[in-house]
Amino acid sequence: MPAPKANLDWEALSLRLTFGILTIVAMIFLVAPTIVVLITSLTSSESLRFPPPGLSLRWYFALIDADQMQRAAWNSLVIAFWTTLISVALGTAASLALARSRSKWVRAADLLFMSPLLLPALAFGFAALVYINKLGFSPSVPFLVAGHVIVCVPFVLRTTVAALSQLDPSLLDASISLGGTPWMTFRRVILPLIAPGLASGAFLCFMASFDNVPVSLFLADERTEVLPIHLWQQIDTNLDVRTAAASGLIVIFTLILMLITERVAGLTQQMR
Amino acid sequence: MALRGHRLQLDNITQRFNDYVAVSDINLDVAGGEMVALLGPSGCGKSTLLRIVSGFIRQTEGSVLFDGQPVDHLSPSQRGVGIVFQNYALFPHMTVADNVAYGLQAHKWPAEKIKPRVAEMLALVHMTEFAERKPRQLSGGQQQRIALARCLAIDPKVLLLDEPFGALDKNLRLDMQIEVKRLVREAGVTTILVTHDQEEALSMADRIAVMSRGRIEQVSPPTEIYDKPQTLFVNQFVGTTNAIPGEYFCVGNKAKVTFAGGSSLDVPKTPGYIDSSKVVVSIRPEQLHVVPSAGLVGTVKAVMPLGSHVVYDIEVPAGVSLKVSEPREGRVAMRRTGETVHVAPTSPDACHVFPAS
Ligand SMILES: Nc1ncnc2c1ncn2[C@@H]1O[C@H](COP(=O)(O)OP(=O)(O)O)[C@@H](O)[C@H]1O
Ligand SMILES: [Mg+2]
Repeated sequence: MPAPKANLDWEALSLRLTFGILTIVAMIFLVAPTIVVLITSLTSSESLRFPPPGLSLRWYFALIDADQMQRAAWNSLVIAFWTTLISVALGTAASLALARSRSKWVRAADLLFMSPLLLPALAFGFAALVYINKLGFSPSVPFLVAGHVIVCVPFVLRTTVAALSQLDPSLLDASISLGGTPWMTFRRVILPLIAPGLASGAFLCFMASFDNVPVSLFLADERTEVLPIHLWQQIDTNLDVRTAAASGLIVIFTLILMLITERVAGLTQQMR
Repeated sequence: MALRGHRLQLDNITQRFNDYVAVSDINLDVAGGEMVALLGPSGCGKSTLLRIVSGFIRQTEGSVLFDGQPVDHLSPSQRGVGIVFQNYALFPHMTVADNVAYGLQAHKWPAEKIKPRVAEMLALVHMTEFAERKPRQLSGGQQQRIALARCLAIDPKVLLLDEPFGALDKNLRLDMQIEVKRLVREAGVTTILVTHDQEEALSMADRIAVMSRGRIEQVSPPTEIYDKPQTLFVNQFVGTTNAIPGEYFCVGNKAKVTFAGGSSLDVPKTPGYIDSSKVVVSIRPEQLHVVPSAGLVGTVKAVMPLGSHVVYDIEVPAGVSLKVSEPREGRVAMRRTGETVHVAPTSPDACHVFPAS
């Protein structure tokens, strides 16, 4: 039968082609700019230029005195920390229900929790601002964290639900028939086994909060400027080379966090 | 062994899932320390019944009693039912020792008592040197021993084994069946074994409950299930048999069944039938013989020498083909395909009469 074989070859070819194109696109638009930023941040000159005339770490040292930028970075870290903590707690609790139940209300809740992934975050940020103003409040850190949680919780939810659906239900039955309470079953059986999924969800959630612009734009108050917005303003007003150095640090920081997550998730994977 | 273990009673248990009746009007009385096998084809409601006993399903009707006391209000974690799952369900992230200790910790045993108990259980199943291994580093048989040790550690009132040997290969299966039977005997724990494998049920259980479509067809000791099946289903499900449709007639204090084509066989007089009742006569292959004359006349369609026995497939005018199993003795020549032969039961008692469905 030559026809199906030719068909298969086409499929393999188109798969390889798609894969190749995606890889090239990722290289051009993701990896290359990252490398350009890293190299630019090492410039010895006074201006943002590529390629740099000479290499030095002077702009990284300049960050030590960049008080405003440091404050913005600290704000972003604190907000990402609380966002992740709350998202992991809420996301885990919700996913326990989502993974087990087939009821249509739970399905509807799932869709609701996931909708921030689809809705434009800009529209959400704007609407949230209008809403809390109507309620007589003004933007503040708790509202900012709440806003971040809403747009970041889907990351935790998805990875945790996936991890839970991999979990053999007879393990839970075993725990309970051995006399285990629901809490003991959760702490000693469920939690250790979904930890890798939870860790990668927490990582995605942290990063999503850390570089979130649209929600922060509307919900941050005057005093709590976050890092991505601060950096953008610096570029916009005076092409500050320290922005490149800050971007370089963020890239390095992300890579380290990614490696740690991989390690933790990988290690727990090994423990299975 | 008497007086050890806890009595388990199932009292008129019915389970409906929406409109579907999965388990219907089950009555079963299991003595303390007894092992009863639930035997039936898949989908007949065995697992559902186990989940009712363990408390994971609250039955639609009826009651579960331990030692005469209803336990329906007790949650699965309070019932004291040990379950060995088909895939063993060992906690993959814990060591063997931690797996065995889990139930003890759940029951709030003091730490200094847990260690010796775990050691005792591991010794019981000959797994002492594997205490620090992870489950995935063990073979199927070893995992099963640990699953059993984990259950027995908490001294369960009732032990439930759900198709426990299904995942083992054939040689290991027999070893583990002997081992599990020994352990359960020593522990003196009342046990329900769920299986669709008749040999497993026959070799392990004190009594067998044969289930079909949510009902128990018969509860009897293994030999009785085989020799005195009460329904055609039991007869056909346990061992192989030849089922021949015919009509029942009383002849004085004897009885016979006549078949299409005019031939007939003497059968034991069975109450409940009148002349011309439509019946099915069931005869096991080893209770049929090729004889010089009389009996049913048929044509040999196939000859299968199976080691110590030879099995013939013989077509009779009654419209069915019969399997006949005979010892293969050197002196007697085997029949040939196409040969015309006479077939008769070893005795009228070898014939079981059931109503035609
Ligand atoms: N939770 C359930 N909801 C609906 N039907 C079920 C449920 N559990 C079991 N059943 C049905 O009940 C019947 C008996 O199932 P089960 O007890 O698992 O059989 P067995 O263990 O003998 O193979 C099956 O037809 C199955 O589809
Ligand atoms: Mg089953």
